[in-house]
Amino acid sequence: MTSTMEGVIKSIQGLSSTSGDLSSLHRLLKGAEETLRSESDLQISTLDQLDASKHSLGYLYLLDALTCGPMSKEQAFDVVVLIARFIDSCDAEQIRLASDKFVSLCKRFKEKVLELRDSLRGVAPLLTAVRKVQVSTKRLTALHPDCLQLCLQAKCYKAGFSILSDDILEVDQPRDFYLYCYYGGMICIGQKKFQKALELLYNVVTAPMHSVNAIALEAYKKYILVTLIYSGHFSISLPKCASTPAQRSFKTWCIPYTEVGNCFNEGKIRELEAVVVANSSDFEKDNNLGLVKQAVSSLYKRNILRLTQKYLTLSLQDIANMVQLANAKEAEMHVLQMIQDGQIHALINQKDGMVRFLEDPEQYKTSEMIEVMDSVIQRTIKLSKNLIAMDESLSCDPLYLGKVGRERQRYDFGDDFDTVPQKFSM
Amino acid sequence: MAPSSSSGLTFKLHPLVILNISDHFTRVKTQLNPPSSSCSTRNIPTSIHAASPQNVRVYGCVIGAQRGRTVEIFNSFELVFDPNTDSIDRSFLEKKQELYQKVFPGFYVLGWYSTGSDAVEYDMLIHKALMDINESPVYVLLNPAINHSQKDLPVTIYESEFHVIDGIPQPIFVNASYTIETVEAERISVDHVAHLKPSDGGSAATQLAAHLTGIHSAIKMLNSRIRVLFQYLVAMQKGDIPCDNSLMRQAASLLRSLPAAHSEKFNDNFLMEYNDKLLMSYLAMITNCTSNMNEVVDKFRTAYKKNSRTGPTGSRFPFI
Repeated sequence: MTSTMEGVIKSIQGLSSTSGDLSSLHRLLKGAEETLRSESDLQISTLDQLDASKHSLGYLYLLDALTCGPMSKEQAFDVVVLIARFIDSCDAEQIRLASDKFVSLCKRFKEKVLELRDSLRGVAPLLTAVRKVQVSTKRLTALHPDCLQLCLQAKCYKAGFSILSDDILEVDQPRDFYLYCYYGGMICIGQKKFQKALELLYNVVTAPMHSVNAIALEAYKKYILVTLIYSGHFSISLPKCASTPAQRSFKTWCIPYTEVGNCFNEGKIRELEAVVVANSSDFEKDNNLGLVKQAVSSLYKRNILRLTQKYLTLSLQDIANMVQLANAKEAEMHVLQMIQDGQIHALINQKDGMVRFLEDPEQYKTSEMIEVMDSVIQRTIKLSKNLIAMDESLSCDPLYLGKVGRERQRYDFGDDFDTVPQKFSM
Repeated sequence: MAPSSSSGLTFKLHPLVILNISDHFTRVKTQLNPPSSSCSTRNIPTSIHAASPQNVRVYGCVIGAQRGRTVEIFNSFELVFDPNTDSIDRSFLEKKQELYQKVFPGFYVLGWYSTGSDAVEYDMLIHKALMDINESPVYVLLNPAINHSQKDLPVTIYESEFHVIDGIPQPIFVNASYTIETVEAERISVDHVAHLKPSDGGSAATQLAAHLTGIHSAIKMLNSRIRVLFQYLVAMQKGDIPCDNSLMRQAASLLRSLPAAHSEKFNDNFLMEYNDKLLMSYLAMITNCTSNMNEVVDKFRTAYKKNSRTGPTGSRFPFI
């Protein structure tokens, strides 16, 4: 038995230099996979003969064979450390040759880490793993949602947020996409970046799907709450581009949330709080109670915002009365907070307790504005380039050409125009 | 090879002459080497001297007027060159000269032109042959090689002077400096040729595009020249190049002549206009993006529509 082990190790050490050698090594390893799995004296110590950065492909296969069976807690701990070290030092090129093996290894890693209840340990390795497996920054891999899940468990939102800043343009598996957007939305909520959270959750809710799936449902619940916090109003109907199964069934599953939304629209604090208390068990079950409380507090903000549109000056006591706050002091604190966040522009005169609402003082003539505009224009240019690329690839799509050709037959141009052939026979 | 001329004549060259020479050269080059390679093997006459198109030389005559010490070259016409005797066809020259004299009575034959990178030996023979028409003809040489880094016109004017070489007085070519002179009408036509504007004046969009392209290239040239100057000054500061005080004085005076308005109001206005322009280009980009998106969506719908409708396009059912 040891002879096959030694043979494999020798071939790994020998064939790990050039790309031609690597492809032959890959074939060899694929063939030897079964024997490796059943190998009894494959231990962690055998891996010491290999160098993770130079022999990444072989190391990966051996690691995979080691970890596929069940193992005890101490073993799990060692394995976790080993895999973390491997991910840090492995070579991205070699890994991409066997990307699904790598992905399954990382998923096993994540499960072990979750079992050990030590998610923080797994965040950094998975971040590096995502970057190494990604072919380009525009492509979504299966590791993205796992990484985000670990970040959520470990509560390190900033690390997760760094992955979210890439624009994703290509997706392999829809399930990965749903999970990515859902977890991403949650991370953004944790960071209080509600606009980005709204974008991500909107993507899940309006994603094409044949039947209702649980991820989209949970995302819809959070989506309602985040719209309440961010934009301050609730519309009962889903956006028009959502899929038909979603439009039919979401509402029946999210009744407590739609109640909250409707109550929010009317603007009465007491009633809203009553609704929240009544349905608090549902919210608890979905782990959304914190978000609901944030939505309730944002109702005050929305009401004050409404006041700025109606009045020019108002006393703090009047504000407290209209928004149903306890006293003028609380009103002052709320208004102060909103001015600091930049949600309203106002002047508080503390002597007589009057608040004067002002216009937006942005004159668009500072050099900071120039930088903002410049970055925004650059983003639009990039988007335009992506759209043109998409347009070109669609124009070459045989499905599209077939349909266009069929329509052209209707026009009688004489013999000048050939119709587009329906099938391309080479 | 050619030292500067000492005759004291000032030469003025009109752009029409340069355009004529380059046009002549381009025509001959294209006729020898037509663009499609299939017919070129059949049509190239074997008696042509030069093998590659760059070696083709064209010859012609320049005409103009001489007033006092100023020689002004207005126009030019082509001449027939006989490769066997290496000389200009005399009768043709005289015939053309008569015709041009009828139309432009004030213009006389001032010299001749040719193309190439430098003057060659038998040019002197042609030059001598022309000396009986004009006792001191000029030789205008155009270098047709396109050199993007060169900033000046590739046109040189040679005069002939008698210098003593090996004890024998021989005429050699000497470089003469010249200036470009234009009449208003010439400026318009040269501009037209240079920018190839559409003949019907174009719509507002093409005119705007042409105008902006012009500004863009002007700014690019300004930017590159400033960069060269800057690198030169930095090198002088570092000590790589010996200090040239007169150049530094010139640079300093240039900088001092820049607009000195540093007031608050100027900055305000400037930033406001800048932001306005940025907002406009942002709006244009967004419109561009929206139209691209519209195209993509239309194509996507045609390609992936579930049920094929036999009615006209423009159906409005939602996706899926």
